[in-house]
Amino acid sequence: MTAACNGRLKLMPKIIIDNKEVECREGASVLEAALAGGWNVPHYCFHPGLKVVASCRLCLMEMKMPHPKTQELDWAPKLVPSCQTHVREGMEVRFDSDPVKKNVENCMEFFLLNHPLDCPVCDQAGECHLQDYSFEFGRAESRMVDEKWKNPKKDIGPKTLLYQDRCVLCSRCIRFTEEISGTHELTLVNRGSKLEIDVFPGFPLDNPLQGNVVDVCPVGCLLDKDFLFKKRVWSLESTPSVCAGCATGCSIRVDHAERVVHRLKPRYNPKVNDWWMCDEGRFGYKYVHDDKRVTTPTVRRGLEDSTPEWADLPGIIRYRLEENVQANGSEKVAAVLSPFMGCEEAWLLGKFIRDAAPDATLVIGPIPRSGEDQTFPIGATGDDIRFTISQEKCPNRRGIEMVLEAAGGKTLDFEAFVASATAGAFSAAWVVGGYPAEWLDKKLAVKMAAKIELLIVQDIFENPLMGGAAVVLPACAWVEREGSFVNKAGLIQTFERAISPPEGVPQDGAFFFALAGFEGLYTGERVREQMAGKIPAFADAYEAPLKPVHAH
Amino acid sequence: MIDDKDIVMVDEPVLSVGERFYLPQILDGMRTTIRHLFKTLFGRPITIQYPEEQRELRVANYRGVHRLNRDEKGRVACVACYMCETACPAHCIHIDAGESPWEDREKYPIKFDLDELRCIYCGMCEEACPVDAIELTTEFSLVSRTREEMILDKEELLAIHDRTVAEKPRKNPRITGYENTGDRPREPAKNRTNLAKEEGA
Repeated sequence: MTAACNGRLKLMPKIIIDNKEVECREGASVLEAALAGGWNVPHYCFHPGLKVVASCRLCLMEMKMPHPKTQELDWAPKLVPSCQTHVREGMEVRFDSDPVKKNVENCMEFFLLNHPLDCPVCDQAGECHLQDYSFEFGRAESRMVDEKWKNPKKDIGPKTLLYQDRCVLCSRCIRFTEEISGTHELTLVNRGSKLEIDVFPGFPLDNPLQGNVVDVCPVGCLLDKDFLFKKRVWSLESTPSVCAGCATGCSIRVDHAERVVHRLKPRYNPKVNDWWMCDEGRFGYKYVHDDKRVTTPTVRRGLEDSTPEWADLPGIIRYRLEENVQANGSEKVAAVLSPFMGCEEAWLLGKFIRDAAPDATLVIGPIPRSGEDQTFPIGATGDDIRFTISQEKCPNRRGIEMVLEAAGGKTLDFEAFVASATAGAFSAAWVVGGYPAEWLDKKLAVKMAAKIELLIVQDIFENPLMGGAAVVLPACAWVEREGSFVNKAGLIQTFERAISPPEGVPQDGAFFFALAGFEGLYTGERVREQMAGKIPAFADAYEAPLKPVHAH
Repeated sequence: MIDDKDIVMVDEPVLSVGERFYLPQILDGMRTTIRHLFKTLFGRPITIQYPEEQRELRVANYRGVHRLNRDEKGRVACVACYMCETACPAHCIHIDAGESPWEDREKYPIKFDLDELRCIYCGMCEEACPVDAIELTTEFSLVSRTREEMILDKEELLAIHDRTVAEKPRKNPRITGYENTGDRPREPAKNRTNLAKEEGA
């Protein structure tokens, strides 16, 4: 019952719902209190992240109100929208009553008057609240005798389709563009039964957060063109993860089936992204399924290339590194840790390098940046900011920095590393990439590769260093690994493995785990336990709630 | 855990002297055999001379090889709703949906593969189909040299429709709202006064 209550609030009013006492957060609405208390109250227009409009009339309840003249508490003569009514100490409401049930049933009938019976071809089917509420609260048959009004789908933007037939006019999407993105593209046009959602002529729905309107839509009215017809939602599996698109680190859900990621959806996280995520992150996973990915390890000795078994690789690498350290000294070894690596992986690789060569240099990979931080509603500052897209287009700069700080010893930034490497300061280096786009200057890279005797390159895609590398290793994308990222605010967040890496490739963490001399199964948690000794912050990584605070 | 009170102990029945000889039981069994023997000798034989002779199959509910129906315009009737794929207990149906090139429909199958070797011929796909696009036919003698050939694609399934449609016409699909513009002829809408009269009568 205390799910809706945050610890920071002093006063917890108690209200009575259906003769059961519920404790709730001061200032919450009756609907929120009921949802947190486990009641399945139908609602379309209410969304905890948006303003309340009380337009869908589904959450109406019987309530005991103070009489306007006598101020005595008495049952109000009409039903009252529970999303709009704040809780007050001693309040009494009824949800399980005949007038309330009748209201929901009648509302559902109106919602479904013109709704086409196209669930089998609608992408929302399976996660549609028209289906759920119709099943739970509606009536089986339509009494409509007139022909249904048909309204073909509209192309409202480059990434989104609007099926007006299926709309319940909850206005969540409109409020999203007004309150969160601040771009005001959507509006209501026409009147009465012809009321519909539309964009202004010449101004399509095209802002960096527009994908969220599809998420807030409780029915199949707004649909992603990207996911359209790709898969039925009930065949998708969901894995909680963290977006690797930028340093904001939104909590997401990876929806995948048969080892293919089909979509990313935001997950409620009050500390980072609330309910939202940006389009760049939402559609930025495509590189995971690129054909050009490196999938086989290669070891070179002289002019000979060979593809060893994965199980033999730790031995080969350890031997070659030791050989190199003995010949050239341990201060001539370096490791470049990419900001796309998880903290665990960076720590394991750092540990392996430092164990083999105690005076080795640890380097943080280049930080991809683009433009300025984008704040929303557009141009918001200070407390008005509801969402930020970071200019730092990597998920884990802070995490790598934390690992490097804890490791101590000699550390460099990437530019300095390139400068000294091209001057011949290193005889052995392990360079980890994992960037979705090209990240190396070709000339410098070739020059650098020629100077480093034992160059171990690990990347998702081919890069110019690989030509001169002694060992080329494939890397995994973040949906194929488990671990943790530290976002720009310093929050340590864990992510789970959604799909398996390309055939035969072990996940990076597991490979480093074996390389660093650990035995058994690699899990992010096991490594974090080890890390917590050096970096106490890793003792408790933050995990966003799996279920949102609202029903949908 | 099963409670002791739920357990019923059953003793073996005591056999009579006649039963202990087993002879009456054997004779009883022989009677059935002999009855069938005479039936076959003097009546219609139970076996048939396959393949010269063919059994008559019940067209309406025999569960043989699948087919994909065509609609009245000769296009594939499937709307790619994945209901058959979802209902299939053997996971033998694989559909890739795409936007249909036709005005009157949202979705259509770009790929429709059915693995006849994995299929257990339960008929659940036919039950699940909302537009009666997939149906089981009376064809049962499916042969091929490789396993891959037994994965029938959309064209092959449509070809089966073409050669079996005369024997088994497509069932009438229930009217649903899959079309965008509604070019399907509709029953004239009843107005309220008519409805009231009908209800009154």
